[in-house]
Amino acid sequence: MKAFLIGLSVWALTACSTTGQSASNQSVTLAFAAEINGAPFTCGQSYAGVGTTRSTLTPSDWRLYVSEIKLIRADGQAVPLNLTQDGVWQYQNVALLDFENGTGPCRNGTEPTNSSVRGVVPAGRYTGLELTVGVPFNLNHQDPTIAPAPLNSTAMFWNWQGGYKFIKFDTTSSGISEGRPAAPMAMGPVTRYSVHLGSTVCASASRTQAPAACQNPNRITVRLDRFDLARGQVVIDMGAALAQANVDVNAQGTSPGCMSFPKDADCPPIMGALGLAYDGTPPAGPQKLIRAR
Amino acid sequence: MKRGLLSVTCVLVSLMGLTGFSWGEYDWGLPSWVPTPSVPQDNPMTPAKVELGRHLFYDTRLSADQTMSCASCHQQDKAFTDGLAVSSGVTGQRSKLSAMSLANVAYLPVLTWANPHLTSLEVQSLIPLFGENPVELGMAGKEKELFARLQGDPVYQRLFARAFPKESREGADALYTLTTVTRALASFQRSLLSFDSPYDRYQYGGQKNALSAAARRGEALFFGEKMECYHCHGGFNFTDNIRHSKLPLSERGFHNTGLYNRDGRGAYPADNPGIRELTGDPDDEGKFRTPSLRNVALTAPYMHDGSIATLEQVIREHYASGGMAAKGPHGRSPMRSSFIAGFEVSEEEVADLTAFLQSLTDPSFIRNPRHSDPWRDRGPRGQPQ
Repeated sequence: MKAFLIGLSVWALTACSTTGQSASNQSVTLAFAAEINGAPFTCGQSYAGVGTTRSTLTPSDWRLYVSEIKLIRADGQAVPLNLTQDGVWQYQNVALLDFENGTGPCRNGTEPTNSSVRGVVPAGRYTGLELTVGVPFNLNHQDPTIAPAPLNSTAMFWNWQGGYKFIKFDTTSSGISEGRPAAPMAMGPVTRYSVHLGSTVCASASRTQAPAACQNPNRITVRLDRFDLARGQVVIDMGAALAQANVDVNAQGTSPGCMSFPKDADCPPIMGALGLAYDGTPPAGPQKLIRAR
Repeated sequence: MKRGLLSVTCVLVSLMGLTGFSWGEYDWGLPSWVPTPSVPQDNPMTPAKVELGRHLFYDTRLSADQTMSCASCHQQDKAFTDGLAVSSGVTGQRSKLSAMSLANVAYLPVLTWANPHLTSLEVQSLIPLFGENPVELGMAGKEKELFARLQGDPVYQRLFARAFPKESREGADALYTLTTVTRALASFQRSLLSFDSPYDRYQYGGQKNALSAAARRGEALFFGEKMECYHCHGGFNFTDNIRHSKLPLSERGFHNTGLYNRDGRGAYPADNPGIRELTGDPDDEGKFRTPSLRNVALTAPYMHDGSIATLEQVIREHYASGGMAAKGPHGRSPMRSSFIAGFEVSEEEVADLTAFLQSLTDPSFIRNPRHSDPWRDRGPRGQPQ
């Protein structure tokens, strides 16, 4: 009965919502490619030559939120991509990209993956792309435990006050790989290295109430001036984000790797590569995480 | 006119679908903010199955010598745990693992402490019933005897027929089976829902005075970056293992908290190594499923092996020191989760965090007569007196 009703309501929603739709819309599927120094990301694979120590990393998770996607028309006009509300990956103007498949070291992840964003724009000739890495402020500070998908993934909870992890990238560095001794760690032999990007210094009345604003929003805005909608890929390369970081050590008394919090000596090279201000230092330059292909 | 009718139908049908309305749906009795659990398609919830499952759960006839039931190790007043570090079965053999709470077990995508492959309550119930290492209820090879015991009781004749009308029409061989027994046990366990703690009243019920000042300070610590508790114990069930009707992709979390470091390389006791035992992956050493913290004040002793007696010790001795192994000869485990960094903690903070954890105790859950022993007035073995 329930399956029938769901089927019927899907039919009803489709039948009812498409009747008013203009025929001059075009469907868009934006393809994303997750890479580490140019090599495709796969759970269980190790990647050599990462960071300043040319370390070998074995990732165990990689997911991120993208939002506020706009296509740039040939005349320069930015047109919002209206995301398909699929109940799984996309909600309002936010999409979760999920490159891990729950296998091997990614065991704490989920089996399904998502490497595209799907939506509709008015028909036209589009030559570029804008997007934000992160969850918009108005959706970022609700109670994530009862939010709709994909904003109810516990793996992406940052905390209620600070919103979501915009990027969750977890690894084990070569410190514990065979043939190489454990790297000297100030805080003990911890060999995990993570990049968790999220908003910080979001003062609110309590840990579980929404703040009025965050001092460090830490959203990355990306503009790709030349993007081929039909054949192009949005390449996300964590190797580029880690290029100036030492992934074999962790600054004493700080989160493993860089988890965006102020005063973490591991963060400046990463925040710099993400094109973000950090601890009062303005961005070193444009973001290096994302490019068009 | 026709178009108008179509529109009205569209709106109505959409609304029905979106609100989850359908005829004859099981009433979970949940507060409106809580999403309903996901239920296997082949075992929809019905009050009749829950009631049969409750009788089976509390029935000592489910054990070889008729001395133990599921409830022996899962006692309602302890949020369905047994207060022991580890439990013993009918032969006296001790388990390696501590009996887990069954509160909100319907929301777990993966069950027990350390088995990533155990994803349904129906299958899980076979382990205590028939498992031989350790022996729990000890019914291995005795299922025919079990069905005969059940079939001979007029109470079960009535309960089975109501819960499984189709099988009932097919005769006793179809009605008294492992399928029906495990489906009923699973249905009862899915009905064990706990969302009426002081913290729920404070956070979701608008009762801002439901928490003490100490518990509110403890909440700030719990959700703070110093202690990092919520990274694994996040979400409305306070675990990163969650599945429900509004979550398309269920989430699982197995972590090494640095409890042991037997060899300097993070080894756990060889007979209790966590999911590495099943996955064979050395990186899975010491990884156990994050338990829910709901009713945690009632579920002592703590950790997968019950090796820590109190919540205060779990905070002060274990987590604050970056894992209990820090106190041993080999120091902190290199295999522990990156969130187990250790922290400075004052006695006031230990007391505040404990007060927060105590605010997750749901008094109505442990007193709910619908979860209680239906045989109580019939003698200890489920036999009418």
